[in-house]
Amino acid sequence: MAAIAKQKTRTRGTKRDMEGYGFILPGVIYMILVVGYPIVYNFILSFKDTNVQNLAKGTSVFIGFQNYKELFSNPTFLLILKNTFIFTLGSLVFQFTIGYLLALFFYKKFTLAGPIRGLMLIPYMMPMAVTGLLGQNLFLQDGLINKILSWFGAGPLPWLTSTATAMVAVVIMNCWVGIPFNMLLLISGLSNVPEDVYEASAIDGASKMQQFFLITLPLMKDAILAVLMLGFIYTFRAFDLMFIMTSGGPLNSTDVLGTYSYTLSFTQYQFSKGSAVAIVLFLCLMVIGILYLVLIVKGEKDE
Amino acid sequence: MNTRKNKGYFFHTKEGRRNFRLCLIAVLLGILFLFPIYWMLQISFKSDMETFGKTLTFFPHEFTVDPWMANLGDKNFLESLRNSFINGFLTMVLTVLFGIPAAYGMGRYKLKGYQAFLLIFLVAQMLPASLMLTPMYLTFNKMHLLGTFFAPPIAIAAGSVPFAVVTLRPYFKSVPVTLDEAARIDGCNSIKSFFLVMIPAVKTGIITIITISFLNGWNDLMYTMTFNVKPEMRPLTANIHKFQSKYGTKWNCIMAYGAILVLPVIIMFIFLQKYIVGGMTAGAVKE
Amino acid sequence: MKRKLFSVLLSAAMVTSMAVPVLADDAASTDLKPNDKGAEELTLWHYFDSSADAQAIIDFCNEYNELQDEVYINPTYVSRQELMNQYTIGAVSGELPDIGMVDSPDMESYIALGVFEDVTDQFADWEEIENFYPGPLSSCKDADGNIYGLPQNSNCLCLAVNMDALAEAGIDEIPTNLEDFKAAVEATTDESQSRYGFSMSAVSTEEGTFQLLPWIVATHNGTKTSLSDLTAEDAAIGLDILGGFVANGQMSSECVNWTQADAYNQFCAGKAAMEELGTWQLATIEADVNGAFEYKVALLPTGDEGTSSSTIGGENFGICTGCKNTEEAVKFLKWFMSAEEEAKWATQAGKLPIRSDAEPVYDYEEEGFETFQEEMNYALARGPHAEWPTISEQIYTAAQKVFLNGESAADALAAANEVIAPILEENPLPEQ
Repeated sequence: MAAIAKQKTRTRGTKRDMEGYGFILPGVIYMILVVGYPIVYNFILSFKDTNVQNLAKGTSVFIGFQNYKELFSNPTFLLILKNTFIFTLGSLVFQFTIGYLLALFFYKKFTLAGPIRGLMLIPYMMPMAVTGLLGQNLFLQDGLINKILSWFGAGPLPWLTSTATAMVAVVIMNCWVGIPFNMLLLISGLSNVPEDVYEASAIDGASKMQQFFLITLPLMKDAILAVLMLGFIYTFRAFDLMFIMTSGGPLNSTDVLGTYSYTLSFTQYQFSKGSAVAIVLFLCLMVIGILYLVLIVKGEKDE
Repeated sequence: MNTRKNKGYFFHTKEGRRNFRLCLIAVLLGILFLFPIYWMLQISFKSDMETFGKTLTFFPHEFTVDPWMANLGDKNFLESLRNSFINGFLTMVLTVLFGIPAAYGMGRYKLKGYQAFLLIFLVAQMLPASLMLTPMYLTFNKMHLLGTFFAPPIAIAAGSVPFAVVTLRPYFKSVPVTLDEAARIDGCNSIKSFFLVMIPAVKTGIITIITISFLNGWNDLMYTMTFNVKPEMRPLTANIHKFQSKYGTKWNCIMAYGAILVLPVIIMFIFLQKYIVGGMTAGAVKE
Repeated sequence: MKRKLFSVLLSAAMVTSMAVPVLADDAASTDLKPNDKGAEELTLWHYFDSSADAQAIIDFCNEYNELQDEVYINPTYVSRQELMNQYTIGAVSGELPDIGMVDSPDMESYIALGVFEDVTDQFADWEEIENFYPGPLSSCKDADGNIYGLPQNSNCLCLAVNMDALAEAGIDEIPTNLEDFKAAVEATTDESQSRYGFSMSAVSTEEGTFQLLPWIVATHNGTKTSLSDLTAEDAAIGLDILGGFVANGQMSSECVNWTQADAYNQFCAGKAAMEELGTWQLATIEADVNGAFEYKVALLPTGDEGTSSSTIGGENFGICTGCKNTEEAVKFLKWFMSAEEEAKWATQAGKLPIRSDAEPVYDYEEEGFETFQEEMNYALARGPHAEWPTISEQIYTAAQKVFLNGESAADALAAANEVIAPILEENPLPEQ
């Protein structure tokens, strides 16, 4: 391809390049201005002592790692960091497992497979804020969930009014949103496993279970990794659900980095502290994010 | 699909019985999974009395549209509804404006810096809104953008432009080169061929982008809540707490509020399901 | 297809935007009247959301807009939680209304933030200010005595009692001390009717603190607890008993999510036999109970026999920084808080006036209002203190720890004291 390009006249190549840049650059510049600049700004802010009092006067100063030091010696922040991981991992385990089971089912060919799995995406596409609102109602003391529990002779649980159960309720609501997403991506992962592999293994006398663990899983490795990493990225930065459903309460038991950063910046107006929390959130995400990028770039090269 | 043929197919062959069985299970799974949405809807049609009642009911014993009217008859609600549309619409415009050309460029040109550009879009897609919120807020404040309809969409589009690029790029890639070249031979310049040949060729992908970017704007909470400092500019999502404190424990009104917010999503799903489903898979894993 | 979808969305947006004025005009005849005279528009933010005061603010603005031609007051409702955010955001961005309402204990911290404008000069020769009660008025001033606005109403908390439930439990008299109250809550709790003995708001906002304070600053064994000494021997008694209610299923733990309106709705729906009632709720209680049971209002039985404690609530209206027309805005406040309008407001919205020469004639719930007026004598003002929000956060957090985690009241208050004590040491609360 490169050789062919070289054969063409140089001017033509440059002109074509110019066209290409003309299409791409507005988008890239938009991203740099709207995303890149704020990230840099956020880093700077997190090393200052900007709050609402000194913002207007412009008298904030650099204080080095002070904000980070204070955060990591603050038990509330440590609790919130822990919450964020519990929320993310809890959501991932259940939404992936259930999503996978549903994917295996809906991957089968039958008349209603398409329409029903499509409808099941509604929870994923609807505003997370409404999911939070709905969660509030479902988990009321005399709400639907406790009613269902009572049929099995269990409960009632205090759910959103107990520090022990509020997180469980929030995770359940988040799984409701995450399951269809996982299912969808895993179905497309399943469809990349060629049929003839199964046929061959069936001839070799492999049981369904063996087929699943020895063939399906390894062949879907990349898809599974991608789903888990994307799930992590989308879950770890959660905000809307908690903000509406529990406001992070009771007693910070459902506060996560996203909501805590917001509270610091926009209810206490300690902008720099809020920024520092956002940076911690960003760094945690980037660890997984870089792995995800490696996976994508690998896929890109394979093409 | 030919239903009459299917009916015969359903019961008389082994294959047909299997199909029927699977459909039945699928319907049950679907009902179970979507039950919370039914729950929201049924509460929204209950009277105040029934909502406050001591026993939980599974369908409205006394069907009423009052909770819906309580919302739709409220000036502030309608104003917020309009703002939600504006927010979705502007997000969509920005996404189309910046995302589609960039996706085309990324899909059809091999350029220096290509890897870097791709990285920018991929990283941008992963970033948490929390990270951009405070800096954007302070910057928009300086630029006097706070309290205008533009502030939230500019921020939301920072998420949906990369989505558009990542989703549409494979679509543009898959358009045969001959189509493009034929247009050029016919005397189209690149801009003309982009509009007249390429865009129609990737119609499906573009509908996905339009739908999802509109929903991104419609669904947003964090940016609108923070940047729309004027109460009369806030969309429905950002006003949930406000209406909740107005309605107190009148769950019928609150659920009607939620149902109205979900309605466009459901409507879009019914008409555009295949685009959304296709787009989401393409954008997320296959790349 | 693309164009079709595009135009569907566009027309949907247009239809709704056109529908706004059309439907809104239909909505109610008691709506805000439009600015026909083309007078200069001054926006006013408030969080009045009970049906009585929400209507009252519209009526009063309508009246004033008709009365004069200079300005048009445009009241905008912003929920309480958001209002606080908006003021702080506004302090940075400059997006503030012309006149802003604020919960009285919060005023001091907003003055410190620069949300409100110093209008001392405009009030300098206004003799009527003498007639304002000093407590509420002091919350509109900074430490140097400069004025930033005027208090508009005051209120406090009493006990609402479902007399039928009390009689059912075999109790003839409304409890007047904490011991009897505890027994009454226990006796009126009835699971078979899904009825709790007591309901109140312990939400993580100023509302929660407002309702919790009376139980903390109560008189036990002859000593009244002070906020500056939360580790005193008897300071934890009240909170301990409230915690017991939650632990024993006599009060719903959902009170930590309930606003005062929610707690009140529980009472009106018969789901709580007793409730901590705000003055303003007298305006609607008869309609909301709707004859389902007989109710009475009594002093809060927070401590020893013959003592009571409550919290003073109320809203202030301040002139915001950058107000378009400070002079006219002040003129409006002087009219709004005149003796005559104050009395009218008190009766319509169910509040108590903030000036001694306003004499409201309540033509409903007379007994109830009398009780509230008596309770005012035992009611504590919050602040004014620039760091009140921090103090307040400690109070509701302590209570939630007791209600939700079963922590002992003494431990929770001790933890709160660790934050509150240094603040008050540096800058004590005013004597009251």
